[in-house]
Amino acid sequence: MSITTTGNLGPMILQSLAPAMLYVPTPTMNYILICDKVSMPANGGTTCRFMRPRALVPPTIQLGNSGIDPPAQVPQRDIIDAQMAFFGTGCIINEQVILQDQEGVLAWVSERLAVAMRQAEDLILRDYIISAASQIMAGGGSNGDNPTNLGVSDFSLVAATLDTNNAYKFMSGIEGMDRFGTGPIRSAYFMLSSTELQPDFDALTGSGFLSQWNYPTNSSALPSEYGSVYNIRILNSSEAPIARGASENDRDVYYNAIVGKQALTHINQDGYSMNLIYRDPYYSGMLAQNATLAVKFAQAQAITQDTAIRNLLCTRAGN
Amino acid sequence: MTEYSRSAKGSFTQSATGNAVYINLPFQPTLIKLTNITAYTNFAASDIPWAVWDVASMGQGTAAVGYVGTGPVLQTAWVATQGFSTFAAGLGLQLGAQLQIASIAKANPTVVTTASAHGLSVGQVVILEGLFQSSTTGMPQMSNMPFVITAVGSPTTFTVLWNSNQSNYTALSGSPAGAYVRQVLYPNLYLPGVNFISAISTGTTTSITTTTNHNYVVGQEIAFRIPSVWGTTQLNSLPNNLIPGSPIYAYVTAVSSNTVFVCNFNSTGFTAFNSNQPATGTSGLQYPQVVSVGDVNSGGFPYSGGSLYPSPQFPTFSGGVPTINGPAIQGAFVNNTRQGFIIGAGNAAVAGGSADTSSHLSGETSDVIMWEAYLTDIAMP
Repeated sequence: MSITTTGNLGPMILQSLAPAMLYVPTPTMNYILICDKVSMPANGGTTCRFMRPRALVPPTIQLGNSGIDPPAQVPQRDIIDAQMAFFGTGCIINEQVILQDQEGVLAWVSERLAVAMRQAEDLILRDYIISAASQIMAGGGSNGDNPTNLGVSDFSLVAATLDTNNAYKFMSGIEGMDRFGTGPIRSAYFMLSSTELQPDFDALTGSGFLSQWNYPTNSSALPSEYGSVYNIRILNSSEAPIARGASENDRDVYYNAIVGKQALTHINQDGYSMNLIYRDPYYSGMLAQNATLAVKFAQAQAITQDTAIRNLLCTRAGN
Repeated sequence: MTEYSRSAKGSFTQSATGNAVYINLPFQPTLIKLTNITAYTNFAASDIPWAVWDVASMGQGTAAVGYVGTGPVLQTAWVATQGFSTFAAGLGLQLGAQLQIASIAKANPTVVTTASAHGLSVGQVVILEGLFQSSTTGMPQMSNMPFVITAVGSPTTFTVLWNSNQSNYTALSGSPAGAYVRQVLYPNLYLPGVNFISAISTGTTTSITTTTNHNYVVGQEIAFRIPSVWGTTQLNSLPNNLIPGSPIYAYVTAVSSNTVFVCNFNSTGFTAFNSNQPATGTSGLQYPQVVSVGDVNSGGFPYSGGSLYPSPQFPTFSGGVPTINGPAIQGAFVNNTRQGFIIGAGNAAVAGGSADTSSHLSGETSDVIMWEAYLTDIAMP
């Protein structure tokens, strides 16, 4: 008996493309979330200028009965400048690729360019904070390093610092509810930290850390929110900054930006925040062989309230 | 030359023998050619009159060179380390490999001796780790801060701006376990940034020494963050006893050097700065810092000759940081991400011979050097 199998009569075409593309692992982009957004006008030069009035001396001395006015005060202000910078990337795609590839190459390359641009925007903000904000070393942990792993006293110290500096919190508190395992949430600053620190946060459960799932309601929780400690709500991302092996004892150092409102400002110019540019092969050489797909954007950034931001540096308990 | 290739050329005068030279470009080249014009005219032993590098066939940090041997006679030679390399300075917190520290003597400034050739040059930035001679002695007070290298005494020594010649510091010797130096590959990506304070001189004006190039300009508005153990807390922007809650800022009135500036604070009678921190209990030690807040300037940097690319915005002083961005207000927050290639100070070695430590790919003081850089569309293989 002869049985026809795929061994002697295989399919003429061995593969077919699955109906959907696989997802591209992409970090959560938290840094843009906490920024104030400002747009510079077109034809407005290279530099965005912010002005913050200074407080006047409160008149705490009584006028008395002399009838003479006290000396006038001279109002002062602080100026903050931020220079616009331009960024971009693109792909050159030969027309034969577009003609012959089974998948819509231009479509998915456009999507990847857009995501790359947004991630660049976030990474620029991340590295700017590392570069420009002052640092507090965690000392509340027990691993003996400098900085130590996170202890609840570190959260308390930074929140107290920002409160003392009269920073504005992002989030109002969440009242407690009669729901098992939940607890009230204080009004809070945001801390932008690494997903690698989640075991260390979990280790603080019961001594200050409350998981987002233990909030009375998570209607105000952000997708990347992991939980809260005292007056700080923690947003996690795998792209949060880490200096590998940079501590006193060769541990990885995690940079946790703790921010209040208006601490950081993101600036674009005349809506030049995203340009997706497709150029037909017609524009490339005499035989018109290559199309180009590109993105470009303009961005500046400034710490607009230096009193409302700190980098809390820490190591992990375990590494 | 195909449609999308890139090419560039330029020249510079070497400021000091042994300095690596960073060339900012709008691309990272795959082929580099170098001509040391001074070496052609001098033709002295140990000169490197020409060099070439191709990334695909040679790898990063190398160079094929013409080398003037004793005689003098022109020979072919090879630079095995600190040759040509490309860089893409777009992301922060990138560190070089750990290099064992052999010893650190107590001194002001501090001189670090490495167990093998460090390959570092003046202006590069490092961090120091694990500076313990025993569990309770050493120089751990110097960890966790970046330091710019202010002098290179030999292939295994370099100098950083810190006073370790104090009672709480113990010299390191015998290559202590865990004592490492690591290069910060891309410092100064965003300017001006936070700076760590090495010393403060108080008086009617206040002079600040920073551990790295501060990148401040006259008119820069600054704020201090000095923990109480370091002494001069009266400079801190908060608390403010006269107007509670209102930060007190200072202005830079003079830039004395890359690492020293003067501000307008009258600090007469303030507590002295104390970097003689104990070597024990450094876990959680906070560090004195100064940050840029803003500026009172209203113009860009004047053009004073030299290359128009990068734009003449920086350097603001000797050894400052050139940026590839256009003109901005002095003291503005600027983006200084960059890419291009590095001409290292590597030594030439003829086949079968050892490296001539008197030869440097990046030339000697006052050498005039011309370079060409290419990024080609077609490369085989």
